[in-house]
Amino acid sequence: MDPTEVEFLAEKEIVKIIPNFSLDKIYLIGGDLGPFNPGLPVQVPVWLALNLKQRQKCRILPPQWMDVDKLEEVREMERKEDSFTPPPSPYYMELTKLLLNHASDNIPKADEIRTLVKDIWDTRIAKLRLSADSFISQQEAHAKLDNLTLMEINTTRSFLLGSLNCMFKLRSNMQPGTSTGKGPDY
Amino acid sequence: MDSQSYLPVPPGVGMEENFLSLDDILLSHERLPSRTECLFPRLGYLEKSTDSQDIQEGTKMELPLWLAKGLYERKRRVVSIELPKVYREGWRTVFNADPTVVDLHKMGPYYYGLGSQMLHFDSPENPEIAQALLQTFIGRFRRTMDSSQNAYNEDTSALVDRLDSLERDCQPTLLCPFYEFLPRFCK
Repeated sequence: MDPTEVEFLAEKEIVKIIPNFSLDKIYLIGGDLGPFNPGLPVQVPVWLALNLKQRQKCRILPPQWMDVDKLEEVREMERKEDSFTPPPSPYYMELTKLLLNHASDNIPKADEIRTLVKDIWDTRIAKLRLSADSFISQQEAHAKLDNLTLMEINTTRSFLLGSLNCMFKLRSNMQPGTSTGKGPDY
Repeated sequence: MDSQSYLPVPPGVGMEENFLSLDDILLSHERLPSRTECLFPRLGYLEKSTDSQDIQEGTKMELPLWLAKGLYERKRRVVSIELPKVYREGWRTVFNADPTVVDLHKMGPYYYGLGSQMLHFDSPENPEIAQALLQTFIGRFRRTMDSSQNAYNEDTSALVDRLDSLERDCQPTLLCPFYEFLPRFCK
């Protein structure tokens, strides 16, 4: 899976905006949006929020979790625990990137938020790599990891699966003749 | 998503080789030191070192894997194959001690593949060879994972050069988009 695809999926999340135009309710296949009245907050998906922001038709309000104190707490908890803590949002990385790139004027302390999210990301990725390493080196058969976001899974998916395939090939050497399941007939 | 119209045939699993796999075809070109156990009449022209018309019994030659596999038979002793030195006791101890320091590409780019094929030749050391292959792979897993995930904007050819072709296959090809993502994030 491409990181850009994960970003695409992240754009479905809902965020609050304050438009400066007015429009009646619009009926889309995915759901209804609006009505839009200038000065009144309304909930829209991120893809629409970014589009309106780029056309200078709205102001984006940062999501609840995008706050310096809350993110500092999350970071401290992440560093303390050995397992994964629930992330601020299932798409925290992509939303931070999108909102801070396009709407950083609407978000207070944007640079600190960027640093905090990057720290949280680094800690979680380090835990993921440690976990993958111990999974392989102890040749476990089964592992369960809670609270991972799609983007984190995406970084290791192809490498981990490739290595597990290789390990299977090498392990099947140890039992010659028991590999009765023949592969596709080339 | 990657939708290819050309899907290369992957190398075979364990002791099997896939007939159409390019990796396996190249693998079977590797030469093995071997010793003939019977006379090969009128094939002397294959052996450049002597001028005789036949290949005598007991000649030491280097045979490619495809020929060795075809000629080898447990009951009728035609050739006997020796293990290349990377699979012998000495090197196995090196791999046990620290698998990460070895340049597997130099040891023949198909270390794991050739090792798996050597198990066909019924050497008494087969279980140890199989075990050594698996443990080497596991030992090097951490390094290959690190090198594959930190590839952005750096010349990692020094790391990749030391990898066997099986390990290189594990490296994801879609790494670049993610690491273009990260600097846009960091600005």
